[in-house]
Amino acid sequence: MSHTHNPGDGGAGERHAAPMVEEITDFEVLEIAVRELAIEHGLFTAEDHRRFTEWAESVGPAAGSRLVAKAWIDPAFKARVMEDAVKACKEIGIDWAEPTGFGTPSDYMNLRVLEDTPTLHHVIVCTLCSCYPRPLLGMSPEWYRTTNYRRRLVRWPREVLAEFGLVLPPEVEIRVEDSNQKCRFMVLPVRPEGTENWTEKRLAEIVTRDCMIGVALPRPGRTADVHPVQKAGRPVQR
Amino acid sequence: MPKSKPPEKAQKSSGKARFKPGDRVRVKDLPNLFYSRTQIYVRGVVGTIAACTYQDIIPEDEAFNRDGRLEQYYIVRFRQKDLWPEYPFENDTLQTESPERWLEPANN
Repeated sequence: MSHTHNPGDGGAGERHAAPMVEEITDFEVLEIAVRELAIEHGLFTAEDHRRFTEWAESVGPAAGSRLVAKAWIDPAFKARVMEDAVKACKEIGIDWAEPTGFGTPSDYMNLRVLEDTPTLHHVIVCTLCSCYPRPLLGMSPEWYRTTNYRRRLVRWPREVLAEFGLVLPPEVEIRVEDSNQKCRFMVLPVRPEGTENWTEKRLAEIVTRDCMIGVALPRPGRTADVHPVQKAGRPVQR
Repeated sequence: MPKSKPPEKAQKSSGKARFKPGDRVRVKDLPNLFYSRTQIYVRGVVGTIAACTYQDIIPEDEAFNRDGRLEQYYIVRFRQKDLWPEYPFENDTLQTESPERWLEPANN
């Protein structure tokens, strides 16, 4: 690819922003080949595949937020979460075995909830790929799957957290959880001050996806359904 | 959804685990035979068993769709300073999972 900038070429010779996905990977080719074979052989239809994809991509982090809020309010539920998290998930309406009866091939039936304390902060990563507690949190964010996050979080966790705006004092132990096998992990953050007497529903609103990955802390007033408003530094003059 | 065959059920820990929480273990530095899920960064490093989790097929067999050998899995906790010698914070830790064959006792 040419890296020369010719002012007269009208911009046709050089793209200034690289496309997000430039080429298809071997695994994507493999997936398409296997899928087309399965459709040809009548194992499922293209419509089945589309419906499953639509369902899988519509699962969000709301169930995880409910689990955290309920654990904050109900110590007996929290104890059951720590004892057997997959079983406890059924109490909030999440069955890890869905939709096939045995889960999906990469959502193994082993979940461990990592409880933060004022002196211990957990953060999750999968250095090998992108393992994530999907039945509770839905699809992982794109940055979670990047090699940048995966290789740097284990080596420089404090620096990476700082890039997310989370700076923790040295006396707080940071514990990185690399989910490289069949356990799936989710962070149970510390209930923040200023939320006394809140209802479970109101508590769930401040437990955003990033709080359960461990790159952010829940705060009163900070919810996922409200877009942050950033006023323009130089507003358009009319 | 169409019916499909469930994978071999992961078995509950039978209590025959070689290690227990608190035991010191070293991750072996074995050659990779075609496939492994044991990260290079933990090889040869000493950590502590944090939990005995489940028994399941080892990745080296499962990757080739063999029924495979069932083994006890563990969550192992490492001090970040042991993984990365120049790591500047005393208290920070990292946990990762390992099947039993990759671990050996470390008594110091």
